[in-house]
Amino acid sequence: MAWHDADSWLTLAFAPHPGTLALALLVVITLPILLHAYIYRRRAPDSLPTFLLIGPSSAGKTSLLTLLSHGTPSATHTSSTPTAASLALPITTTPASSRYRSNNDPSADRARKFRLLDTPGHGKLRHYALSTLAKTGPGGALKGIIFVLDAAALGEDAGAAEAGEYLHDILLLLQKRHTGNKTSKGPTAIPVLVAANKMDLFTALPESLVKIRLEKAVEEVRKTRGRALKDSGIELSAGDGEEEEREGLADGYEGAFNFKMLEDSDIEVKVAGGSVKGDKGEGADVQEWWGWVGEQL
Amino acid sequence: MLDTFEILSTSGVVLWSRTYVPVHSYVINSLIREVLIEERTNKVAYGDGTTKPTYRKDGYIMKWNLAKDVGLIFVAVYQSLVHLTWIDKLIDNVSALFTGLYGEQLKGEIDTVKFPFDPYFDREMQRVEASNDASMSSAFEVTSNPEFTPPSSSGTDHGAEEPPPMPGLRKAPQKPIYNPDTSTDATPVPTPDTSRPSTPASRILTGKTRPGGKPSRRDRKVKAAVNSAPASSGDETSARKGKAGGKQKKNRVWNEFGADEEDNTINLDYSTVSANDPADFELPDAINPESWGRTTGKGQFVLKDLDEEMDEIIASVNAKKENSTAAGGIVGSSLGAIGGLFRNVVGGKTLTKEDLEKPLKGMEDHLLKKNVAREAAVRLCDSVERDLIGLKTNSFTTIESTLRTAMERALTKILTPTSSLDLLREITTVTATNRPYVLSIVGVNGVGKSTNLSKIAFFLLQNHHRVLIAAADTFRSGAVEQLRVHVRNLKELSKREGGEVDIFEKGYGKDAANIAADAVTFAKENKYDVVLIDTAGRRHNDARLMSSLEKFAKLAKPDKILMVGEALVGSDAVAQARNFNNSFGAGRGLDGFVISKCDTVGDMVGTLVSMVHATGIPVVFLGVGQHYADLRGLNVGSVCRLLMS
Repeated sequence: MAWHDADSWLTLAFAPHPGTLALALLVVITLPILLHAYIYRRRAPDSLPTFLLIGPSSAGKTSLLTLLSHGTPSATHTSSTPTAASLALPITTTPASSRYRSNNDPSADRARKFRLLDTPGHGKLRHYALSTLAKTGPGGALKGIIFVLDAAALGEDAGAAEAGEYLHDILLLLQKRHTGNKTSKGPTAIPVLVAANKMDLFTALPESLVKIRLEKAVEEVRKTRGRALKDSGIELSAGDGEEEEREGLADGYEGAFNFKMLEDSDIEVKVAGGSVKGDKGEGADVQEWWGWVGEQL
Repeated sequence: MLDTFEILSTSGVVLWSRTYVPVHSYVINSLIREVLIEERTNKVAYGDGTTKPTYRKDGYIMKWNLAKDVGLIFVAVYQSLVHLTWIDKLIDNVSALFTGLYGEQLKGEIDTVKFPFDPYFDREMQRVEASNDASMSSAFEVTSNPEFTPPSSSGTDHGAEEPPPMPGLRKAPQKPIYNPDTSTDATPVPTPDTSRPSTPASRILTGKTRPGGKPSRRDRKVKAAVNSAPASSGDETSARKGKAGGKQKKNRVWNEFGADEEDNTINLDYSTVSANDPADFELPDAINPESWGRTTGKGQFVLKDLDEEMDEIIASVNAKKENSTAAGGIVGSSLGAIGGLFRNVVGGKTLTKEDLEKPLKGMEDHLLKKNVAREAAVRLCDSVERDLIGLKTNSFTTIESTLRTAMERALTKILTPTSSLDLLREITTVTATNRPYVLSIVGVNGVGKSTNLSKIAFFLLQNHHRVLIAAADTFRSGAVEQLRVHVRNLKELSKREGGEVDIFEKGYGKDAANIAADAVTFAKENKYDVVLIDTAGRRHNDARLMSSLEKFAKLAKPDKILMVGEALVGSDAVAQARNFNNSFGAGRGLDGFVISKCDTVGDMVGTLVSMVHATGIPVVFLGVGQHYADLRGLNVGSVCRLLMS
């Protein structure tokens, strides 16, 4: 039987045969499902609201991550790679989006979930945090930045300088995100929580002082940056000759820097104290931070 | 002895740790910072290829192993006074064991699991130690044998068991006592350790409780052994007894080992160990008799050791490793080749050394073309290779693009400074303490020391500082006059700006270090903010010229020593940077580089990488032209882009 015969398989395949129809139907139905399963299998976690843990080294970022993800802080060392964890708000905190929802609403669980991204704080590895931030589009999943710092180290000049410089860079990036916006509708705001960690220590500064110290430190960085040398970006990538205007943090304002100046750029900075490890007897005190995360969700 | 063994993830979480003597966490932190992140190779003592590199910090020695594919670091910390030969083996075996046991769990997002790794570690420790002892005295090999050999008499059993192999007491004269064949009825060695439970009591099969009160894991095992094989003749009992003894002995080795003389809090008492260590307890409870032992045809119950299981795991992990290296044969077949090609395009390919070889060679050539010194290029490629082997490429990325991003990341990491390079800020901090900020410049002849010095002076003058330039080049004719001209120009330029600049000179032929010191005192008396010291150019491989730098650093005590290197220099950059960095005596090195003549090399800015890579010292300034204003800070991103283009 040749392929061109009346009852060959090829003729059958094109004839309105019930078997052929069934097969075609099967393919039509299953193919999109399979394709979807194949392509979107790993996409799901990306859509979770994300919070970025940023801060100088040994401030307690990774400890905070472990505390939030499994109740007790683990022993940690200096991080050299970023890590992420999927978390859910505790029952005691209600996410802002489900304020009007019943507590028994089963779909409320979904609103509680979020992703926490821990980044290394070592000077050489900050590009992980900065590039994540720079990549975030106008309507990204990034819902907020938790800037963890050591409230005890802030009392010393070196600690304050380091924290101030890092915070300055972050705030400047956020501001650039706002000013570099092309559309009339601004990008979604990314609020910043300054989580003053290690409040249980005797030498830790109280919240109000942390804010003042930090503003002063950022002001110093802002001042020296304004006068510092231009960097080599333009000269070395020869050819385009485009003189890039240097943008400073809160440029239009007179006087010393404070966090209120950033409200124009839609950056909200809140300082809240807490401690990951807690006093010897009592446990960790992160309630205020949870509350902030709940407000952003 | 071993102080601490820790298993931590690269993200910084300690997954499992065993502490014998508490070690402050900054010790391991500094290992991670200085070696793993900053890659300061001068702090690491590399072995001869067979041994692992060591890192010393404050009287501790650290050895480590990186399991890149699962993101784990295995660190062993011990006092640098003791010499432990078996650490390498221990680390290797433990990494194989741990990745073999928990490989699946480690792939999760964050490791919330508690790892019940204690028993495995204990056994491994004993085995490694035992094999080490065996290699030292062949008579001791009974202990290293995981299979139990029935003792010829109960006397030998006692003999084999009595002497605790105290690490401190492991000396040659005691060796024969360990030997069960020669000492049938050895007297117990008098040891300083008094809390050790008396052996006969603990060996009674009914599982007598220890002095501490709680039954140990070993006792439970022994008990379980009795219960699971109730019908037993006397012979079997004795055999089992022997077995229990053999088990006991090993555990004894372990516990005594932990009971270091300096450390009387941990592991000395059996009861406290069991109480503190719930994981140690849970394991025997959870396991049913079949899983840890089996009954032989004769009805004898044979303990299946952890040893067997551990051997299996280690063997399988090692086999996997060999498979992956020998995978070329399989891929060589046509189907595999097509699959590999497909994978290369689509992604999801696990990278092996063979895959990376060719692209890495290409990358190395590319870097060499960009004027990166060969040494630096090779080491960069090596570190990238280490990063990538065993990784899976992302979907729709080729090996080349994966390699590219990895190399970009490595370059960014190298060039990014560890701490802030804000010169103005440092000056403000120092001048607040009522002394001038001293900055000195060194370098090879003709690289542009004086030019860059005056550029820096111009930059400082624009920021309204009072600057004193010290002419400490007392050797080359015209050097002082040249600086004088610079100062005259700068004075003109800065008149309106409000800065003030002067020169401090003492003519030619004097000692440079003394002139520098005098300049600093003069500046202090006359309230200058900054002293810039120009030095004579010197060849970096001339020991006579370089030796004067040490005196210079001692007398002038500069806050910052910058070395000027020209971007034109090729592979000599590495040696220059290294020699200058080492020439200031112990505890003082360079603080930064000024790379001059960057405008003359186009995109071949490899010198930056070579110099930074050789020393781990950041680039502070780039000279990009002939004018006073042609000084720039380093933009890491753009330099990386140039290097990769």
